Parts: sequence; C-alpha cells; structure tokens
Amino acid sequence: MANDKSSMQLISRGILSENPIFKLALSMCPAVGISTTVMNGLLLGIAVLFVQVFSSVTISIFKNLIHPRIRIPTYTLTIATWVTVIDLVLAAYLPEAYAKMGIFVKLIVAFAIITMRLEMFASKESVNDSFWDGLGMGLGFMVGMMTIGFVRELLGSGAIFGYDVLGFKPLLFFILPSAGFFVVGLMMAFFNWIEIFYKRSKGLKR
Amino acid sequence: MNLAYTRYIVLTALLFLLAPIFARAEGLVVNQKFISDKEIQVTFSGPVDKAVTENIQNYTIYEEPDPDIRLELSSAVLADDGKSVTLFFKEPLNTAKTHVITVHGLAGIDKTTFTVSKSYLGYLFGILISALLINNFVFTKYLGLCVFFGTSKKKDTAKGMGVVFTMVMVVSALMSWFFYNFILIPFDLNFLQIVVFIGLVSLTVQAVDTILRKVNPILFNSFGVYLVLVIANCVIIAVPLILANNNYNVFETFMLALGAGGGFLLALYLMSSVSERMQLANIPKTFKGLPIAFIVAGQFAMAFLGFSGLQLF
Amino acid sequence: MKDMLTIVVRLTISCLLAASVMGVCFIFTSNAKKHNEHVKEQQVMYELLGYKNGAKIPESLALHEVYRYVISSSEKQSIGYLVPKASGKEAGYDFVNIDLNGALLENKAVALSETEVLETETRNKAVQQAVGAGYTANFADRIIIVTDNGKRIAYLIGGKFQGFKTFVNVMLAVDPNFSLLGMEILEHEEDPGLGAEIEQDYFKNQFKGKPFEALKTINVVKAPIPDDYLKALTGKLSEADILKFREQYKDKDIYALTGATISSKAVSNGVKGIVLKFAYRINVLDKVLREQQLAVSF
Repeated sequence: MANDKSSMQLISRGILSENPIFKLALSMCPAVGISTTVMNGLLLGIAVLFVQVFSSVTISIFKNLIHPRIRIPTYTLTIATWVTVIDLVLAAYLPEAYAKMGIFVKLIVAFAIITMRLEMFASKESVNDSFWDGLGMGLGFMVGMMTIGFVRELLGSGAIFGYDVLGFKPLLFFILPSAGFFVVGLMMAFFNWIEIFYKRSKGLKR
Repeated sequence: MNLAYTRYIVLTALLFLLAPIFARAEGLVVNQKFISDKEIQVTFSGPVDKAVTENIQNYTIYEEPDPDIRLELSSAVLADDGKSVTLFFKEPLNTAKTHVITVHGLAGIDKTTFTVSKSYLGYLFGILISALLINNFVFTKYLGLCVFFGTSKKKDTAKGMGVVFTMVMVVSALMSWFFYNFILIPFDLNFLQIVVFIGLVSLTVQAVDTILRKVNPILFNSFGVYLVLVIANCVIIAVPLILANNNYNVFETFMLALGAGGGFLLALYLMSSVSERMQLANIPKTFKGLPIAFIVAGQFAMAFLGFSGLQLF
Repeated sequence: MKDMLTIVVRLTISCLLAASVMGVCFIFTSNAKKHNEHVKEQQVMYELLGYKNGAKIPESLALHEVYRYVISSSEKQSIGYLVPKASGKEAGYDFVNIDLNGALLENKAVALSETEVLETETRNKAVQQAVGAGYTANFADRIIIVTDNGKRIAYLIGGKFQGFKTFVNVMLAVDPNFSLLGMEILEHEEDPGLGAEIEQDYFKNQFKGKPFEALKTINVVKAPIPDDYLKALTGKLSEADILKFREQYKDKDIYALTGATISSKAVSNGVKGIVLKFAYRINVLDKVLREQQLAVSF
C-alpha cells in the first residue's frame, strides 16, 4: 500500500498534469457558472478543497470497513455530510459570499471529481497520501476557478478582487453568463497550444 | 380486464383534475378575465341590472394578499346584451396576482364574491416553458455539463440519455417534494436537505438502472462510464434544491422537472447534431475535442439568452 | 444472508456517524447564523438611516417594530397590528385588530418580551391566541418605526416583488412624509452584468430623495444617465453638489439600466407599490391609535 510518491508530487499532479478543470474536464458547471470574479473562484475553491480533503481522509481511514457492495452509497453519504457541514458554516459566517454562490455550494455534492478521487485513490492508498492527493486536487480546482475568474473579472469588469486596475471601459461581454463557455474553451485551447509547443521544442532539441 | 381498470383510473384522474374548471362554470358569474392591465371583464349567466352593475360604489376589489388596500374603479360599463360588464381601473393592475371582486346587491343577493386570476394551466405551462427554454439548465444555469460534453457525440445516445434523465428527474423531484413538505419542513430538518435529496436521487437512478438493464440493454451499454456519474449528477440534484427554494406545489414541481428534463434533452440533441457535423470539419489541432465543444456551447448559450423575457401567458 | 447483515449494520453505523456530524454542526451554526443575520440587518437599517459603517449611533435613536397580520375567518378578513406599548422596556405589546374600512374591531394586550417577539414561532402563537379560535392569523410583513427623542424621523419597510428572473428583496427607508430616504437590495437573482446592476450605487441611489408625489407616478426612461448626474450618484462629487443634483432630479423618472429595462421597471414599480401601500396603512393605524388614545412607544 505504501508507495514512494512524495507529498509535493501529489500536489503538483493535482494542480498541473491532472488539473480537474483543464485536464480532466470534470466539475465544469461552477467553472462556467459563477467564475465571474476571482473572489467567487477562491471561495468555492476553498469549499471544494475542504470537502475533498475531509472526504478523502474519511474514506481512507475507514477503507477497510467499507463493504465493496455499498461503496458508492458510502462515498455519497460521506461527501453529502461534509457538504452539509461547509454549507451550514458558510451560511452562518459568510452570508454575503454564500448568497453569491447560490446553489453551487450545495451542488458540490454532485461533483464528479470528488467521487472519482475517492474511488480511484482514497479507497486504496494510505491516509497520508490521500490527504495530499485531496489537497492537490482541491488546490487544482481552486487554481483553475481562480484563473478563469481572473480572466473574466479583468476583462469583464476591469478589476481584480474588486479593485479597479484597468483604466478603460471593460468589455461587458466577459461577465455575461454565456461568456463562461467561451473563456473556458479558449483557455483550454491555449493550454493545449502551450503543450504542443513545449513538446515540439523538446523534440527539436533532442 | 386490466386494461378496463386502467381506463377507469385514468378517466377518474382526469375528471378530478378538471373538476375545478367545471365547478367554476356554475353560479351567477360565468367567466372573468383580465382584458388588459387596466380592465377586467366579467360575464354573467343572464342579463343583469344595469343600474347595479354600472354603479362603481357597488364594487369592492382588492388583491388577495392585501385585503385592506382597495383598488379604485374609474368606471364600469355593461355590454349591450346586458350579460357582461367591463371594469376600468384608475391604476394599472398587477395581473400576476389574484384579484378578489365583491359586487353588492347583484340580482337581489347582498354579496357576490369571486376571484380573477390568470389561468392556472397557463401558469403551469409558463413554468414548463421557463425551465425548458428561458432558464435552460444547460445553457443558462450551467448544470450537468460533465454529462453534456461527455455524451453529446452521437444523436442516438443523446436522445436516450435525455429521455432517461427526464424520467429520473420527474420521479426523483416528485419524491423529493413529498419528503421536503411532509418530513423536512414539519420536523425542522431542513439542514438535511442535501443528504435526503441525494439519497432519493440515487435510489431513483438505481431503479432506472435495474429496469433499463432488463428492458433496453443496447441503451444501457451506451451509457458506459457515465453510469456512476449519473447517480450524483448536478442537473438532477438541482431540481429538488430549486423547488425547495420556491415553495412549489406538486403540479408545479412536476412541470419544473419535466421542463428541466426536456431542456436537458433539447440541449443534448442540439449539441450532438453539431458534434456530428464537426467531425467532418477541419478544426485547428489546439481546438480539437473539448475546446471547440465549449465554444459551440457558448454560441448556443448566447442564442438561448434571446429567450429571456419571453412571456406567453 | 450474512453478507446482507454486515451491509445493513455498516450502513446503519455510517448513517449514524454522518447524522451526528451534521447534527452537531447544525447546533453550532444555527445560533451563529441567526446572530449574524440580525447583525447584518441592523447594519443595513442604520446605513439606510445615514449611519455609515462605524458611525456613532445616538442614544436617543430608537427602533420600534410593528408586525402586521392578515386575520381571516370563513366570512371576513381584517388586519391586525402588533404594536409595542409605551411604558418601559418590558411593557409587552398591544394587538390592534382593524377591519377593512379602517375601524377598530378589538384591542388586546399580548404578553411578549422584546426578545420573544423576534422568534417567529413564539410571536405567531401569541398572535393566534389573541385572535381566538375560528380565525387564522397569517404574518404579512414587518415595519420599523424610527424615533429620535420620541419624535418620528423615519420608517423602515421591507418588501419583496417579482424581478426579471425571480424575486427581489428590498429594504426601504422613508421619512414621515413618505419621501424615500434610501433603498437597499437585500437579495436578488438577476443576471450578472445586466439585471444584477440594480444593486449598484448608480442605480439604487437614483431613488434617494424621491418625494411621495413623484413616487406615485414614477416610471423608467430608456436613456443614458447624464455624466455629471452619474458622478453625483456614485459619490464622486462633494456632499453639497450631490444634494444639488438630487434636488434637480428629484421629480424625474428613473434612468433604466442598459440592457435590463425589465429589471429596472420591476424595481421602480415594486418600490412604488410598497411605499403606496405602506402610506395608506400607517395612516389608518395612526388614526385608530389616536382615536383610541392607545399609548404606544412611537
């Protein structure tokens, strides 16, 4: 069960090579739906990070007690419990931010990425590794959300974290609801382009 | 034998549903409706006294939630046949609300009270259209995108998926409605919303899954890896969460679920039609796969933005 | 069979664990949530009255809450108001039942303390008791009467109306002549970039200072906001200039938001409806209180 993956590797894998948004293309709904500002991305990212880490650790601790036949229901129950917790906490202590994120906090329960990590990683690996893996995936999601939020907020309202940075009148289009699709699509294409470029330059050197 | 029973049950159910419409036709007042935002037309079963109906002092009119705020009439005009009267108001009415009208002294009766509202069927239909087009779950609420991008490659799969989703949605939404109204609310357990709803959805999906495996193995095979994802799909779980926020009754819940499912089916079908064409197109290497799918979805979303503000009833 | 048994046992245990985690969390957060909501509400109220973040609130300022109920039986309806009594803090409340023509039906004392009245269920039960069997009392809304040294200076009214997508929840402050002192959007679900702009200063500040007469016929115009007025609305000019512009535009219609005319219209109509209804009701209530010589705290 023990393996030689270091914590840094697990984290960087979540953020870069297996980024849940840009690479695995899972949990796209909030990436398109509420990524109008960096702040929204950050807050939902934190919520997902919390749920992912806690669920991963919980499942990893109890992995030998979970009957294989009721694997999926147990995962769902675990995730739903932690989502309820974060939902109640956010509603109580950060009511304004909670109102902005609307239904999406509750919908974390249906994020494919979390179930997938539980099934593929936490149910097999040690508690320690599961923690780092959950942290990596959660951070990857948060970084992805914040990047999209950054682009949309900068171009759409000319601000970052609510502070004006652009001197000119921004393009309203980028904060309109439908622009989320375009921004995510273009950014995916951009990352693909970098990857192709990188591979090609590597190939030339060799 | 069995068939006859079913027919009886369907007929009784229909009669039960239509009962309010028949019941309304009885009595002195036959029909009442909004003509414009300043006019209400009332039709009586027979000719009525002109002096009574044209005297605006004989009317008390208010919106149902505000019985103390009287709405002022500027005039009341009886039609030539003596059967229908048109009421003209000073201020524009809020036609979305139910208006209560009381006429004094009509046909020798001290008080005749009736209500005017927009047709309830129209309202229900409005919820359906709203969930289907105006607030399409995929293009304007951004839900269910994983499945949307995953299974919208072929038209056949898209259609099958859409139909199954609609079924699951309707069944799970109705069950959630009962749980929400009869268990969660009375016992103040609202914070268990998420767990209860996801449990009900999983249950429904499991049932559909078992049935489908027996009835249509071909469709079952085409689900592939997405079967696990369907259990906890955001587009399905979103319906109960939305209805919990809106205090819908059971008919409205049904319409919302049907509209949401239909909207999902529509989105999948539209997307798969484009995907089939795109396979023939020459797409830049960097845009192949998901990026171009997102751009297309964005264009659809912009087109769907055009539906906003659509009001049929 | 044995397999089944272990599944059932394990599932039960995990459900119990999950339930206890959620239950504990609920117990801890529900009080904090109520407290925070209350604090937030107070903050919004004081901001509407002109006491910005951190500004000192004078001791003489007092808020009196009046709850309105719609009383209905099978035959008739009436309106009931729960008003705080005049003397002392723990004086309790009077329940004033007024018929639809504005005449007093009955007046009863209701023993409720100031903290008890904040609890929706306790309050509803007490009111139900006061109206007696055969009648049902449905809570309609709450108004807050603001007094300074016993003199009325403003009313705070909450309200909800249909926006473009779903409901818009607002709180309004009006002065004793029913001119608007300010508006705050508490909750809405309009589109970001379009209808969601209703919560921006340049839209909601247009309502500031609108007199009652102008509100009665208020409408929206589809035109861009003049540049200097826009500056005044967003607070980029000096205090005196802002007041000058407010005076200049006070009888004008509301400039609609670009691309969100329906949302703008919904807000202006909603505000108009709330204020008109409130003005009628408070006059009726005041008349009854004066005629009956009831000692109330405001």
